[in-house]
Amino acid sequence: MAANTPAQSYSRISAQELEAQHRYHLRRRKIRNFFKSLFSHGIIIFIGLFFMVPFLWMLLTAFKSDQDVFHTPPRWLPYDNVRVEVNGEQLPLYTVQTEAGEKELAMIKIVEGVGTFVDPTNPTQIMEYKLQQGAQRIAEPIMHISFRWRNFIDAMERGSRPTVGASFGVYFRNSLIVAFFSIIGTLVSNTPVAYAFARLKFPGRDILFIFVLATMMLPFQVTMIPVYLLFNDHLKWGNTFLPLIIPTFFANAYDVFLLRQFFKTIPEEMCDAARVDGASEWQIFTRIVLPLSVPVLATVTVFTFLWAWNDFTGPLLFLHSPRTFTMALGLQDFQGQHTMVWNQMMAAATVFTLPIVIAFFFAQKTFIQGIKLTGLKE
Amino acid sequence: MEVMSSFKFRWPPRMPKWSRRERHNFRTGLLFLMPWIIGFLAFTLYPMAASFIYSFSIYHSRRPLEWVGLENYASLFSDKLFWQSLNNTLYMVAIAVPLSLLLSFICALLLNLKVRGQSIYRVIYFLPSIVPTVAGTILWLWLLNPQVGLINNLLGNLGIDGPNWFKDPDWAKPGLIMLGIWGMGGTIMIYLSSLQDVPTSLLEAAELDGASWLQRLWHITIPMVSPITLFNLITGVIAMFQYFAQAYVVGGGDNLGQPLNSTLFYSVYLYQSAFLFLKMGYASAMAWVLFIVILVCTLLLFKISERFTYYAG
Repeated sequence: MAANTPAQSYSRISAQELEAQHRYHLRRRKIRNFFKSLFSHGIIIFIGLFFMVPFLWMLLTAFKSDQDVFHTPPRWLPYDNVRVEVNGEQLPLYTVQTEAGEKELAMIKIVEGVGTFVDPTNPTQIMEYKLQQGAQRIAEPIMHISFRWRNFIDAMERGSRPTVGASFGVYFRNSLIVAFFSIIGTLVSNTPVAYAFARLKFPGRDILFIFVLATMMLPFQVTMIPVYLLFNDHLKWGNTFLPLIIPTFFANAYDVFLLRQFFKTIPEEMCDAARVDGASEWQIFTRIVLPLSVPVLATVTVFTFLWAWNDFTGPLLFLHSPRTFTMALGLQDFQGQHTMVWNQMMAAATVFTLPIVIAFFFAQKTFIQGIKLTGLKE
Repeated sequence: MEVMSSFKFRWPPRMPKWSRRERHNFRTGLLFLMPWIIGFLAFTLYPMAASFIYSFSIYHSRRPLEWVGLENYASLFSDKLFWQSLNNTLYMVAIAVPLSLLLSFICALLLNLKVRGQSIYRVIYFLPSIVPTVAGTILWLWLLNPQVGLINNLLGNLGIDGPNWFKDPDWAKPGLIMLGIWGMGGTIMIYLSSLQDVPTSLLEAAELDGASWLQRLWHITIPMVSPITLFNLITGVIAMFQYFAQAYVVGGGDNLGQPLNSTLFYSVYLYQSAFLFLKMGYASAMAWVLFIVILVCTLLLFKISERFTYYAG
């Protein structure tokens, strides 16, 4: 019961020391972790710029005015002329170096480097100035940051071949039709096939399943020409959506595989119990298995939408009349026809991308899950 | 006639081991499989047989088939454009595929770090991969515009004179590779999910034993994700042999393969042969050669990878 045995004092000092040491290490680790995470954030953001900036550039270009698109060096935010109303007309405002000093004048027209201006405060007074004298610019447009929403309306109203009534509005509708029926076809045709491979026991099943998987290996190019001739020449389905939609009603290896893997995880006992009660396989499939498979059906729906929305080769083969173009084909055609209107092209590309981005934010988990299950999307 | 009348049609002998139940199951099974069976016959088996026959003939869609034996295959060898397109495709397979695998692995490592806000970073890295192919390609045509494009102007700020990209035969393919890397979010996510499956107990044990970060990466992480690397490699190679839409958009439809056939990839030349030159037989021969090349490459990759791939359990 001695107050201060050596052992105790030793342990007390050591405890203090330990604590101090501990605190010291803790602080050092905190500082190190801080710099480590700062470095991590820095490098992730730096590389992230490569992914983010092009995406942003698409959006920003979509809002630019026609002349701002070609401004060098490029500006991040969209600029447009400041306009004033003079005599019932919207005219761009310029700063002009006049004899009476700098003035803000509205421009009516430019002819061979000579601009015709009107004073907005005195609409009857019309003057002419050369835009440039030697190296000195006389008239400089006044710009302000302005997001040009009209680009979207213009892009949707005009398409690659306006004379035949083909606009991006029409292309968008066509893409929706194709995607909608592709989803229906894929869901209706793949689920029973996958169910048979997952749950029905019959002779020859496994050999057939190997055949299903083997078709994944076959490149599309091998079957492309005969399928084209079948649809286009024999069935006369060119310029209709049928060649794009009908094949989805006949199952495909990827979705069969994906659905089969999921169906296999549904407890066999549930199906067996229904079987004992005299349910047919069709009843088990529609009443028990399908209602339990909503998550995987969502994945298939999302990925079929993505695939149909994105598909370029199919429409290229079968759709030749501009009124039947899908977004992918219409955008390519637009780019081939008008190479300079980047703002409208980017507006159309944004409209094309938007449904997918919206779908992604609503069904983020489904997207990631689907990618893990099916591997790369094409 | 004698022969005909003496021939009696008989059903094939009933296999004794098939019980009534089994036959019932077989019928039910076939009914469920009907969509796939019809689709397989109409859209896979028949077209395969047809294109195999076309590949030995001269075939324009509106004229009868003319059998020429191996002529299509033989003339492939003397076709300069065929070799050029194969060269272009092999360039992409050899450079773009490994490069994008390496970069997506690095990105996945970054996205797997324990820092705050990781879910936002993941969305940013992933987002470009869901931009439709045609939209993404046109966006990059705009970004890589030699005069007013963003990239060359940014390079100009750094004092670098940017190349002409899609107007220069030497730079068109690097431009396409950049486009591909921009959209590799899917591969990054696959890598990320496999990185998350690497057992932390292994990594911690190695750390306790004094293994550095690099050693842990080299001896644990990379072997653990090697099956995914193989999967990504094979799907990447197969997809690259069929590379089409991006190259078609860069060619603007009318000038496929521009500039100077530097973007004339195998599938582009195949499409051109079949639907623009209407040499369907020749294109079918190309398709079968493509099939065989893909098969050989896949098998080769499987064979080579056996020594480098680690399968846990």
